[in-house]
Amino acid sequence: MIVLFSIMALIVVVSALGVVLNRNPVYGALCLVANLLTVAGFFAMLDAHFLAAVQIIVYAGAIMVLFLFVIMLLNFKVEPRKGKGYAIEIFTWASGFVFAAVVARVFWGALRGFRGGQAEIMAAGAPGGIEGSVKAIGKLLYTDYLFPFEASSVLLIAAIVGALMLAKRKGTSQDTLAPSKPVR
Amino acid sequence: MVPISFYLILAAVMFSIGAIGVVVRRSAIVVFMCIELMLNAVNLTFVAFSKLTGNLDGQVGVFFVMVVAAAEAAVGLAIIISVFRQTKSIETTEVAELKF
Repeated sequence: MIVLFSIMALIVVVSALGVVLNRNPVYGALCLVANLLTVAGFFAMLDAHFLAAVQIIVYAGAIMVLFLFVIMLLNFKVEPRKGKGYAIEIFTWASGFVFAAVVARVFWGALRGFRGGQAEIMAAGAPGGIEGSVKAIGKLLYTDYLFPFEASSVLLIAAIVGALMLAKRKGTSQDTLAPSKPVR
Repeated sequence: MVPISFYLILAAVMFSIGAIGVVVRRSAIVVFMCIELMLNAVNLTFVAFSKLTGNLDGQVGVFFVMVVAAAEAAVGLAIIISVFRQTKSIETTEVAELKF
């Protein structure tokens, strides 16, 4: 189990670095797809089966396709290398490394002192396990979380209308395919 | 059995890589992809804690984070398209002024 975890963790970290370091945005998007699929695998390992399926369908299957469509529609070029002044990059990488190291040390230390020293809970999760099936999450969504569920449908409508209005081509009648007035 | 803290450490590393990408990269679409990376790190943290405490509310939280991320990706990409039409460039250093 830990071998599988470390292989998948390696894929996650390498593809995350691939997203950040790739100068071609298409390669970066494909690295992000690999990352999302591996995170879906982690969800399945953590007994969140519904979320693993939703991650693949929604994140890797819809959002990333949208990203790739936009990249290809607007024909983004390969980003040129910066010629001078790498001070920001060096400082950001260094402080990001320090941040990750501090947080990792905190979480590593939490393994020992959780709930009065019950380290096996931190290792295995809650006794009895959780059930991340469609039925269990659906039961929660429609009873305790009904209001956020309905509000998210309003959010999605607002996002659809907003995206349409922002991306609509606001041209004169010269650059549409059919003229708006009948041609004499 | 994998200790839950390994998932948390991995999510922290993923989050910091995403944060580095947002600061360092100049192309707006790559900044967007790094934001999605950060959201995924948070999702992984939520699910790990949900497994740890036995409470399913963390997974419902992840569901709503995914909904919000989808809406934000759609609107953000529409904004990028609209800005690109005006200025023909999506470098964040070139779109630095409020009026065109």
